[in-house]
Amino acid sequence: MKLSGIGIRRLLQTASALVILGLLTEIVSLLWFHPLSFVLFAFVAAGLIGLGILVYLVSLVFVAAPSDGTGD
Amino acid sequence: MIGILICQIALSIVLASVFLIRPSLTSAMGWKIVAFIGLCVLPALCLVGGINTHVQRSETTRFCTSCHVMIPYGQSLYIDDANHIPAQHFQNHRVPTDMACYSCHADYTLYGPLDDKLRGLKRIYLQYVTTPPAAAAIRIPGGFKNAQCLHCHAGARSFEENPVHSPMMDSLKSEQVSCLGSGCHDTAHDIANLDHQKFWKPAQ
Repeated sequence: MKLSGIGIRRLLQTASALVILGLLTEIVSLLWFHPLSFVLFAFVAAGLIGLGILVYLVSLVFVAAPSDGTGD
Repeated sequence: MIGILICQIALSIVLASVFLIRPSLTSAMGWKIVAFIGLCVLPALCLVGGINTHVQRSETTRFCTSCHVMIPYGQSLYIDDANHIPAQHFQNHRVPTDMACYSCHADYTLYGPLDDKLRGLKRIYLQYVTTPPAAAAIRIPGGFKNAQCLHCHAGARSFEENPVHSPMMDSLKSEQVSCLGSGCHDTAHDIANLDHQKFWKPAQ
């Protein structure tokens, strides 16, 4: 499936979900004082946030903006 | 500091939630800018803040001794013996007590912090995936370098003018003679004999 076929809404929702999950994981890693908290941040939180940002940027570059009034 | 970062993360989560629930908002120009801030700028800032916080935290003595295998090394900092180099440095504040491990064991070269993090990850792997070594069996790869000592002591008058140090200064700087391994300052973390040591109790 082409990226334009997926639609900006789906990509924005995916990006938002990834960013939210990553940020929640980051909060857990910050409040948990343990050597594994660094691993949780470096490999899970940073990965999810980075992927979320990447999906958002992909949506900007490859997909046309949604037209007004179509709803969700 | 962590409080400010968590507030920033919370704000970012709120903004991202808006676009999770109503992605069609981005058809308006103003919301496009908000989406860029909420899904790109703020999360990136949270990421940078998180890296900074975790790197600073990993430099603390409390963080190092939060690993089970490092607990005896933390205890050895309280040994009541002036010949015990790490304890002497820790108890007399020759290193910041909250960063005691990092002060002596950090690699002060250009890519040193990255190497330190990779070594730390390897130790976490050993701890949780394979069989971790006994605390007394842990050795620094390549041995303890004089550069770690000289990072602070080089240039200090009491060190440079010491009649024992001054004739061998070149050998010390070129690592031909080891500060720790040549019989001069050879009592570092004596983990094997920890049970027989007397400990210093700091005044509350």
